[in-house]
Amino acid sequence: MIRTWEDLQEIRKRGAKKIHPDKIKIAVGTATCGLATGAGDVLKAVREAVEQCRLDAIVAETGCIGYCQKEPILDVCIPGFPRIFYSEMTPAKAKQLVEALAKGEHKPEWALGKILSETNLIDESVFNYTMEKAPIEIAKIHNLNDISFYKKQFKIVLRNCGMIDPEDIEQYIAMGGYHALFKILTKKRPQTDLIEAVKKSGLRGRGGGGFPAGKKWETVYKAPGDVKYVICNADEGDPGAYMDRSVLEGDPHSVMEGMIIGAYTIGSNHGYIYVRHEYPQAVRKFTKAIEQARELGILGKNIFGSGFDFDIKINRGGGAFVCGESTALMASIEGDVGEPRPKYIHTAEAGLWNKPTNLNNVETWANIAPIMARGADWFASIGTEGSKGTKVFSLVGKVKNTGLLEVPMGITLREVLYELGEGIPEGRRFKAVQTGGPSGGCLIVDTFGWKHREYLGDTAPPAVSYVTESLIDLPVDFDTLTEAGSMMGSGGMIIMDDTSCMVDIGRYFLNFLKEESCGKCTPCREGIRNMLSILDGISEGRGKPEDLDRLVEIAQVLQDASLCALGGSAPNPILSTIRYFRSEYEEHIFHKRCPAGVCKALIRFSIDPEKCTGCTVCVKACPENCIEGKKQKPHRIDEPKCIKCGSCQEVCKFNAVVIQ
Amino acid sequence: MTNEKTKETKQAKPPKEMVKLLVDGREVEVEKGSYILHAAEKLGIRIPTLCYYKHVQPYAACRICTVEVKRGHKVRYVTACNYPAENGIEVVTTSDRIKAIRKLIVEFLLARCSKVKVLRELADELGIKESPYGYGEEGCILCGLCVRVCNEVVGAKAIAFAGRGIDREVTTPFKVDSERCIGCGSCAKVCPTGYIKVASTEEDKIVHRDVTLGPNTAIYVPTMQAVPNKPVIDTTSCIYFRNGKCKICAKICPTEAIDHEMQDKEKEIDVGSIIVATGYQLFDPKKTMQYGYGRFDNVVTSLEFEKLNCAAGSTGGKVLLANGEEPKSIGIIHCIGSRDKNYHEYCSRVCCMYALKFSHLVKEKTGAEVYDFYIDMRSFGKGYEEFYNRLLEEGVRFIRGKAAQVSNEPIYPEEEGKLVIRCEDTLMGRVRRIPVDMVVLCSAIEPRDDSPELARLLSMCHTKDGFFAEKHPKLAPVSTATDGVFIAGCCQGPKDIPDTVAQASGAASQAMSLAAKGFIEIESATALIDDKRCTGCRICNDLCPYHAIEFIASDKISKVNDALCKGCGTCVAACPCSAIAARQFKDDQVMAEIEGVLA
Amino acid sequence: MIHEKVAAIIDKYEGDHESLIMMLQDMQDSFRYLPEEALRYLGERLDIPMTQLYAVATFYKAFSLTPQGDHTIHVCCGTACHVKGADRIVDRLERELHVKEGGTTLDKRYTLKTVRCVGACSLAPIVLIDEQAHGRLTQDKAAKLVRPKKTA
Repeated sequence: MIRTWEDLQEIRKRGAKKIHPDKIKIAVGTATCGLATGAGDVLKAVREAVEQCRLDAIVAETGCIGYCQKEPILDVCIPGFPRIFYSEMTPAKAKQLVEALAKGEHKPEWALGKILSETNLIDESVFNYTMEKAPIEIAKIHNLNDISFYKKQFKIVLRNCGMIDPEDIEQYIAMGGYHALFKILTKKRPQTDLIEAVKKSGLRGRGGGGFPAGKKWETVYKAPGDVKYVICNADEGDPGAYMDRSVLEGDPHSVMEGMIIGAYTIGSNHGYIYVRHEYPQAVRKFTKAIEQARELGILGKNIFGSGFDFDIKINRGGGAFVCGESTALMASIEGDVGEPRPKYIHTAEAGLWNKPTNLNNVETWANIAPIMARGADWFASIGTEGSKGTKVFSLVGKVKNTGLLEVPMGITLREVLYELGEGIPEGRRFKAVQTGGPSGGCLIVDTFGWKHREYLGDTAPPAVSYVTESLIDLPVDFDTLTEAGSMMGSGGMIIMDDTSCMVDIGRYFLNFLKEESCGKCTPCREGIRNMLSILDGISEGRGKPEDLDRLVEIAQVLQDASLCALGGSAPNPILSTIRYFRSEYEEHIFHKRCPAGVCKALIRFSIDPEKCTGCTVCVKACPENCIEGKKQKPHRIDEPKCIKCGSCQEVCKFNAVVIQ
Repeated sequence: MTNEKTKETKQAKPPKEMVKLLVDGREVEVEKGSYILHAAEKLGIRIPTLCYYKHVQPYAACRICTVEVKRGHKVRYVTACNYPAENGIEVVTTSDRIKAIRKLIVEFLLARCSKVKVLRELADELGIKESPYGYGEEGCILCGLCVRVCNEVVGAKAIAFAGRGIDREVTTPFKVDSERCIGCGSCAKVCPTGYIKVASTEEDKIVHRDVTLGPNTAIYVPTMQAVPNKPVIDTTSCIYFRNGKCKICAKICPTEAIDHEMQDKEKEIDVGSIIVATGYQLFDPKKTMQYGYGRFDNVVTSLEFEKLNCAAGSTGGKVLLANGEEPKSIGIIHCIGSRDKNYHEYCSRVCCMYALKFSHLVKEKTGAEVYDFYIDMRSFGKGYEEFYNRLLEEGVRFIRGKAAQVSNEPIYPEEEGKLVIRCEDTLMGRVRRIPVDMVVLCSAIEPRDDSPELARLLSMCHTKDGFFAEKHPKLAPVSTATDGVFIAGCCQGPKDIPDTVAQASGAASQAMSLAAKGFIEIESATALIDDKRCTGCRICNDLCPYHAIEFIASDKISKVNDALCKGCGTCVAACPCSAIAARQFKDDQVMAEIEGVLA
Repeated sequence: MIHEKVAAIIDKYEGDHESLIMMLQDMQDSFRYLPEEALRYLGERLDIPMTQLYAVATFYKAFSLTPQGDHTIHVCCGTACHVKGADRIVDRLERELHVKEGGTTLDKRYTLKTVRCVGACSLAPIVLIDEQAHGRLTQDKAAKLVRPKKTA
């Protein structure tokens, strides 16, 4: 039980010892992304090897440091050494590494980077690793913060991810956690002060819409009623974004601290966290975090002896994108179907069970404790005029470095793509960036020099302006993205190269939404159905000249007349792709051609006899046995039998399979 | 009772807060808490709706009622059915943009359900010639009215939405008949597309027994001329009495006169006179098995046939067979149970004339062939015989002779699928078989089963046929043996409406003349009990035909109620102790009279 | 049997209506689908109308009303996976297992499903077999995931 400042400091010391122990510590990043690449096996191998070599070491688990491309990652702390991260581990490599460590040797060639000192974000205390025992080859390892993926990052939300054991509250406290909360509660800081601080920080909701958090808090605070609720929206639905999962798996207490501060501010005693059921690990880790917090008296009755009561309940979502919408999420917590209701009365006044409710998403909550600890001015000094602080993006798709990155608002796409992402693999060309999930849009990066056909509708000017300039230098924040026809969303950035077809991307999102729309209101349900059937037509070679106008017409009605934000933003992927890639649509409609080689009905596979070496790999891979060819003679695809599955292209090492 | 209560509640209500807004440039004031739709309605501006129904919470799903709301400089598109009317907002209900939105929504819905009438009408209104998105065959537009009515109003919770996105549908759990459905039909009633149907009406089968005089609802006025002319609630079918919800009738009643909690009460009322007008009951034609009533769907009683004819009734005044088709021939059989030694010997007096009326109506409405089977045609009233003659000209076939049997066993080809009436045509002198589609039985008027009970209560007499007896057939046709009790109408004997009205007027004036006088005169010659000689044997008590003698338990003697005593002398003769004397007719007075006569 | 299992789940969440979706998830895990009888029993115990349970059970993707295979294969169809060829993987698995998306193999071993995003986009395309994630797949690798187990 923590009652006094001394109690807290005691735990802090204990926690610090666990982060930087007196002996060797090997931590394996076992968040979902790590596990997907075999971190589980690596962990097992490390444990076995430590046992075998009788190495006196602690084997621990940690979250994800964001560089998912390089998973599984091992974090090795040795007293007298800098902290070293080893990347792309396999069980065999892990075993060798442990064996080497047991002999006092190292594997600097496998290292991703080293850390020499850690500055605690919360109170700016510095922990320095010594280099005294480190041999010269260790000193030669790059500093982690100097490698391109980390260079421009500024970590607030992800500060602890991958650095501490998320299942140990003491380590969170060691990083300055719960200090801000302790001061607020024990000094009984006035609620209005806290609201003022959030307002002044300029923090905007990180869930998608970017609503000013302070304004929302104030409305809930002022709303009449004894019972109020705090909800953490962890129903991270945007495909391509996974920062919330990573935070919950890597640093659940930072979210919890934010929620408790929020609850104290608005005067709430009940909190909920609504987590997607697709994130079982996040649920497990957060459940454990709640238990630990209760044990220490940070949750429950009379927190820190301040007289303030608050507890959190976990609700697992049932698998519905629409439940990311606040009113649908609340209906879902109430045990009902996740149908949004009109928000003419804001949820801040009548939300869950019709009580004032303060709903923020994971990333927003995780920003609260640092704001309280370091002050609103500090936070407001980061970012742009309209968008303060940092934003976590998940950089995924056709880019060399994939992973989570936290950067100050206002960073340009160019910096993200070319510096942090280090460009595109396999010598392809960048084409577009998709942000904001199904509610966002695709931004143009390269036009490939295509020209739009002359506008073929009636003489009225086109309803959307068509842009062909690259947006590569667009500074990324809430407002610029909205202006560009996309959205910040929860921060997914999906990079597409010239093998991604924009008509197909539009279809993809509509296919997604046709299942994820709740189906309540006509424009959304029927609009999506009809837009999809038009796009299906286009991608199957049945496109008609009037299709584009019709799509724009439907899209505009959806924006105006849909009941909730899901329907209102559903046309964004279509509108943005038409806006930036109209020429590609026109290729499909008028020339019945898919330039990116994706739409099956418009392409055919063939083998370039020049490049084919006759290795017969494709012959074996073809599921339909429609490739003929003898060894070392160019092969040929029997087109009528080809199902265009792409297996041959995937296995060909000589790029001899071409799509026309 | 109810009125007083209403007044109280009305007074208790605080004055309603009002808000002012502009709709299409016109200012309107509505109660706070109402929606834009109501404000527009108040101005007579129509906004189309599909998923709105005033007795359920607005749902805002169809979005056809989208309007433009301007507050300050901010313009939003909102749904009128659920956007609260607020002070100072400006609403525009039609603009090019709104039209475009509505048009697209209707086109979408047409693409889903092209055959739905309301959508076709809306399409015409919005000038949609054809939907560019195709024409679907669905029947449901997913407005959710049925689901909401079933949940919110009926409380049965039998139907729900299932699935999501484009696979959303309205269904019962597991798509089987829901055990929670109470068959109230509310969902079918609110369904704007007619997609939901109540299973029993789907077959269009008409059960003549269940045909009613008014609309078939749980709250109804019993008959069109009911006195008092007020509706009653049928507690067996009212949703409130089955599920504890709904109460829509109470909500819409402008005088708040409906109280579902009210209980039936017995009241005692002191009156000076009583008019008995308890009417009659219809002879049950099941007793005359040969006519097949109850066995054949299309053999009906005259009353059932009358209800079919009622314009406000459940068939809307159409004469229909059980299968919902119009009959091509009808047989009307007179004297069922009357003028019949086996049942009632008397003539029911009204049947001939209403049979003629039926014949006329059937001819007028359907043009069907009508056969009247009569024993004697009794058209004795004013203008009646003329009516009969007219019908002869209209081509109604009158067959003199009592019908013997109605069967469904054909002998000849033209009798296939018909009811066959077998009868002796006494004018032709031979037995005939007449195939018809429908048979109407003119059942006898008979005394009510409870009339002996009532007679006992009021000390009335009845005649051999069971009807109440009047005091004197010529001199006192509305009075009974009990003073102050009068009879009128068919409880006294079969009669038609003019006769009933005449007799009722007589009874009423008799009662009025008593009331106008303010007092009653009693017989001077009443019995008198000598207290000293009465032994309290109570023999007289039971003998008195007027229940005028009471036993006084405390004094152990009997006493005569002078107001009831008719001076008949029964008790005087019966008293074993000679304790009772008749005033004016005491022994010595009688003796003196005799002496005077003899002198 | 069904009743006892459901009763145990209800007790676990103390019959709290707010936990309805989680109870249904536990039921789904325990029976591998939501049997009608289990839903009826749950409705009776918690006094929740069947209409609500049916609506919830058909609304959320986590639930199914027909029995599922022993293992569930979730092919992630998030945007990142899509641009990296998740469609092709679904196609391949459909051919490999002879089922359509959403279906269950005849031997009841696998149910093939797509999921909107499992939140491991950096490893796209990704397939989840039960809770085990397999990242950076190709058509062949995905096919191999289901093949050896099939013969074993």
